[in-house]
Amino acid sequence: MIQTTGLTKRYGRFTAVDGVNLSIPAGQIYGFLGPNGAGKTSTIMMLLGILRPTSGSIRLFGEEYHSGRLDLRKRIGVVPEKQPLGMWGWMTAEEYLGLFAELFRVPEAGRRIDHLLEKVGLSGVRRKRMAEFSHGMMQKLSIIRALLPDPDILFLDEPISGLDPFGVKQTRDLILEENREGRTIFISSHILSEVEKICHRVAIIYRGRLLAEDQMGSLLGGLSKDREIHVDLEGVPEDLTRAVRSLPFVLQADAAGNTLKVKVPKSGDYRKELSAFLIGRGLVPLAIQEKSLSLEEAFVTITQENIGLFTGIGGRS
Amino acid sequence: MSHRLHATRVIARRRIQELLLSPGFYVAAALGLLLGYLLVSGFARSVDSSGFDFRLHPLFDLLGRSLQGAFGGTVVQKLFAEGPFQLVLYVAFLPVLLFLAASSVYRFGLERKVGAVELLSYGPADGTSYFLAFLIKDLLATLLYLAALTGFLAVTAALHNLVLGPTFFYCLALLPFASAAIYAWGIFSSTLTDNSASALAVFLALMVFFLLVFLGSFTIASGYVAGLSTVLAWIVRWFSPLYYWDQALRAAEVSGWPLYALNLVLQLVLGAAVLAASHFILRARGVRP
Repeated sequence: MIQTTGLTKRYGRFTAVDGVNLSIPAGQIYGFLGPNGAGKTSTIMMLLGILRPTSGSIRLFGEEYHSGRLDLRKRIGVVPEKQPLGMWGWMTAEEYLGLFAELFRVPEAGRRIDHLLEKVGLSGVRRKRMAEFSHGMMQKLSIIRALLPDPDILFLDEPISGLDPFGVKQTRDLILEENREGRTIFISSHILSEVEKICHRVAIIYRGRLLAEDQMGSLLGGLSKDREIHVDLEGVPEDLTRAVRSLPFVLQADAAGNTLKVKVPKSGDYRKELSAFLIGRGLVPLAIQEKSLSLEEAFVTITQENIGLFTGIGGRS
Repeated sequence: MSHRLHATRVIARRRIQELLLSPGFYVAAALGLLLGYLLVSGFARSVDSSGFDFRLHPLFDLLGRSLQGAFGGTVVQKLFAEGPFQLVLYVAFLPVLLFLAASSVYRFGLERKVGAVELLSYGPADGTSYFLAFLIKDLLATLLYLAALTGFLAVTAALHNLVLGPTFFYCLALLPFASAAIYAWGIFSSTLTDNSASALAVFLALMVFFLLVFLGSFTIASGYVAGLSTVLAWIVRWFSPLYYWDQALRAAEVSGWPLYALNLVLQLVLGAAVLAASHFILRARGVRP
């Protein structure tokens, strides 16, 4: 759906984005991660046609894309992090959506606006001035605005930033629902736990360079050196960890409260053997699960491993 | 219709709606009409059996002396040869022109800073359609006000047994063209800077500069200042709406209609060139604050 080749953006001598190759397949939820100043915003702005790349190319829906392709912009919905109210505050939600429906030439705009307002639960405030809206309501309204032209891809920049837990859940559900309906979603976020919950594919950018891009499972699995199994017990006897460590397949064993944490080689699944060993010692495993690397851990690992690329000291090349 | 034209039309319609719903335009128009009325009634009181004598009315005395000091007696005689309406037209139009130009420059800078232009650019609009919408709004408001002003002055003239005169209409026809070029310079100033205050400062500085260069070509200046003004005027005149305005009026005085029409066209060409420059600047700098 979106492909970039050698995408580069320089501001004077500073290279904000350095030869980034992205591949965003249709129908997926794609997470675009990076710390502040990593080049995320510059990349997104180039993908949206707001910034012109210094070099490299972007293919959107199979066509060459640049800032002059206003026809292709209709197929992209964008939810920016900040909602500029300066110009729109005097408008009601209905008027605001009406303006954008007209800009996008949305057929049967009234019906579409009604449907989307209903979908996010804003029907009751359609005639309220936007200046009176809460952050969560503005976020929903912004998503509706982006969905008005029924875009093929939806860009969300920090979609849950500043939302309360209820708002976070509603936004997450909305994203998942839109994706189920076939829409490709591109999310840029700092909240990695949330990205991990919903994204199929992730890319990590750091200091302008793309460090990793893969399916979520492959990325996390590929980074884990070992497997970690967590076993919940009614209680962990004092000599248990030492006994577990003596098992041939165990690399490390520790106890944390009533949980036994066991590291085993990545090559095999040792949950059955571990369970049999515990039962043999008269213990009842309440829950036994494999703990995978979190996205946050993966993010830290990848960025730290690549620090050498930028500083010239250590790190993976 | 292209996406850019469609977006321009939609945004311009909203802009006009905003303009008509807010008090600023009406205040500027009321001020212009009031000034116009005061000048017309003052003129009527400055006429005695020997004709117009600006010394008969304190307002015209002040104006007449100032203009005579700045531009010489001939300019003043020509200005009032057909009654007060040429001057009235300029004076009554100035508040609206300044309001429209300054408010658009300020608004452009403000909305760019808060990210509203960027938000519009996510849709099928771009910075160019955004500033073209401002231009359309300002031109339509200009035409609306000029129509109202002409009607108002026609009634005022009739009440004072005066007529508007042909020069009034030459000047009237010039104003939308000169305004378009001035509004284009406003847009250009907005694309150069990142905030509304500096955009406004650049625009006003440009206008003052054009005015000074224009005034420098009259007898007010002498010696070194006159020499400098002449050189500056020769370079700057091609970029100044005031130059084409002056050339068109000079052509009208001697019934040089082709030259008059040419200067109207040149005003449009100037406006288009300034807008094209604005387009490329905005494209290079982007709509992000």
